[in-house]
This record gives sequence, structure tokens and C-alpha cells, in this order.
Amino acid sequence: MSRLGNFTLIFGLLLGFAAGLFYSWTINPVEYIDSSPDSLRDDFKSDYLTLIASAYVATGDVERARARLAWVQITDPASTLGRLAQNRLAAGRPEAEARALAQLAAMLGERPSPLIATPTPHGAATTTPLPPSPTFTPTTTPSPTPSPTATASAPFSLTAKDEICDPALHETQIQILVLDAAGHGVPGVEAFVVWDTGQSTFFTGLKPELGPGFADFTMQEGVTYSLQLIQGNGLETGISSKTCTDGDGEPFAGSWLFTYQQSTSP
Amino acid sequence: MLLGLLFGWVIRPVEYIDTAPEALREDFRSDYVLMVAEAYVVDSDLELARYKLASLGSHPPLNYVIDAIDFGVENGFNQIDLQTLNLLAVDLRSIPPAPEIGLQ
Repeated sequence: MSRLGNFTLIFGLLLGFAAGLFYSWTINPVEYIDSSPDSLRDDFKSDYLTLIASAYVATGDVERARARLAWVQITDPASTLGRLAQNRLAAGRPEAEARALAQLAAMLGERPSPLIATPTPHGAATTTPLPPSPTFTPTTTPSPTPSPTATASAPFSLTAKDEICDPALHETQIQILVLDAAGHGVPGVEAFVVWDTGQSTFFTGLKPELGPGFADFTMQEGVTYSLQLIQGNGLETGISSKTCTDGDGEPFAGSWLFTYQQSTSP
Repeated sequence: MLLGLLFGWVIRPVEYIDTAPEALREDFRSDYVLMVAEAYVVDSDLELARYKLASLGSHPPLNYVIDAIDFGVENGFNQIDLQTLNLLAVDLRSIPPAPEIGLQ
């Protein structure tokens, strides 16, 4: 075969390959119409996680929430949900969303369990069914109630106010610990802080690694705050950072821990 | 050209990693609708439920709920789930349809 013939053959092959790629990538690409939640775009995934939390709070179905989270295939769900709650709160989304995310995060933090999902073929246009059937176990009774929530009518009362001198804390904080009557941390409790020029709210349970009933708020030095639990029956005023000293005698700003507990009867 | 098609469709197809809820497979989509319905039973916020269902596409929200009920019946959802879906469907059906543009 002549050199010209070789060239024509190679050129023809390349042209055909390019045409095939153009057709398969642009004109008629593989369509992924049967995707799974793990392939959702980040913002949709955040909405999906929030929906899982809302459904969990509505039904109290722990196992179903775990199964749904497994489909999303996120690492460290408790922390992820906690961060998401803070982000959505900061973005001005409804507080009910943050509260639901906090409660779900707290539940996961309390009872960690493997959330390793059965791997779904990532993005594959699969015909292999992965039915969410484990979720839909035939039950005639609602699932057990999840971890304690702040829905009981009895208010929370301040039981302790402790100064925290921990040099490891790199900021001065108002910390709160909210417990139910049995002494278990309660997630999703809203706290309200007010200072001369502003106000803010924060929720327990957004840092599940520190316990479901824990929450903190960063203080500015020289500013005096007032603190109230929305479901509490008291107002703490005059809260400001105190001066502590470390092991070398160096001063640093300390924090406060307020412990609230639900009374045994409403 | 066959090589190109093989490469583009099989070896290295277009990857869709940032999909929208409307691309969810039917079982996941039905569960999505169920989650919306479960939340609706508690908050009774029909507008919020419609907003969430709108993520599934441009069809009327009621259609997605009906599809989920059909899927649930075929796949053995329990009675509570079916009732939850049905409640949302009934309430969505009670909303008068939006007037079509162009009608006198």
C-alpha cells in the first residue's frame, strides 16, 4: 500500500473516531435519568439532607432516617448535618430546618452506627434495582421515639453557672448544656443572646461530638450579654468574659458554662 | 466511528455528578415525595410541600404524589406511608388549578 493510502486510512480512522466521540458525547450522550441521591448537586444534596431531617422529626423513625442518609453516602453524617444546620441558620433559612438537622445530628452522635451504604453504582445508568425497600418494612405501628427532644412542656431551669478557664479554647464562649429531667442532653433547644448592639440565636445539638445538649456562642471581649433559653424560665444578665491565668501566669479570657435542666413536672 | 462510540458511550461516557432531584430513579423519587408528605403531616405547610415537590420537575406537584402512591402500591409500601401520601394528595387536589394564560 502506498504512503498516500496509509495516510488516507489513518485519516479516515481518526475522522471516524472523532465523529463517534462527537455523537456519543454531544449529540446523543448516555442519559442518566435514574440517578441516586449521592449524585445530587451540592445544593440539592443539602435540601435532600434537610428533607431527611424534617421527615425524621415528623416520624421519629430512626432506622428510616439512617437508611436515607446511607443513600446520600456522606462521610461523618453527624458533623455534616451539624455544619449544614449552622450554614442554613446563617443563611436565614427557617429555624425549624436547623432544629430538625440538629436533632438528627444529635441522634447520630449519640448512637453512632455504620452508615456505610451498599455502594450504589455511582452515576451509572443502571438497570440493577436498588430498591429502598429496607425502608418500607411493613409495619403497622410507628417506630420508636428517637432521642429526647425539646417538645416536652416542662421548662428548663438554670441549675449551674460555671466559669471555664481552658487555655485550649481559643475564643471566649457562652456555653450551654441542656438536660432533660433524666439528665440526658436535649438537642434542638434554642437559646437567645442579646447585647447592646445586637442579638442572636443558637441551638443545642449542632456539635454532636460535644453532646446533644451542648451549644456555644462566641463572645466579644468587653461586651456584656444576656442569655435566655426560649423554653427556659429565666434570664441571665451581665455575662462577660472573665480573666483567667494559665500555668505560666499569663492572663487569658475565660468562658462561661450554663447548665439547664428540665424540671420533673410541668 | 465505532471506536469513537465505544469510547464515548462505554469506556468514558459523559459523567453526571451534579444531578437534580428530577433525575432521581423512581424509587428514590417516590421516597423523596414520601419525605415531603411525612413533613407535611406535621407542619401542615402546603406551600412548603409544593415548593419541595417543585424540585422534581415542571409537572404539577400532585402528579408526583400520585406517581409515588402508584409506586408505593406496586412495591408494598405499608399502610401508614400510603395514608401519608394520600393525605398530601388530597390536600393538593383541594387547591384550585391556576388559570391558564390566555383564557378569557
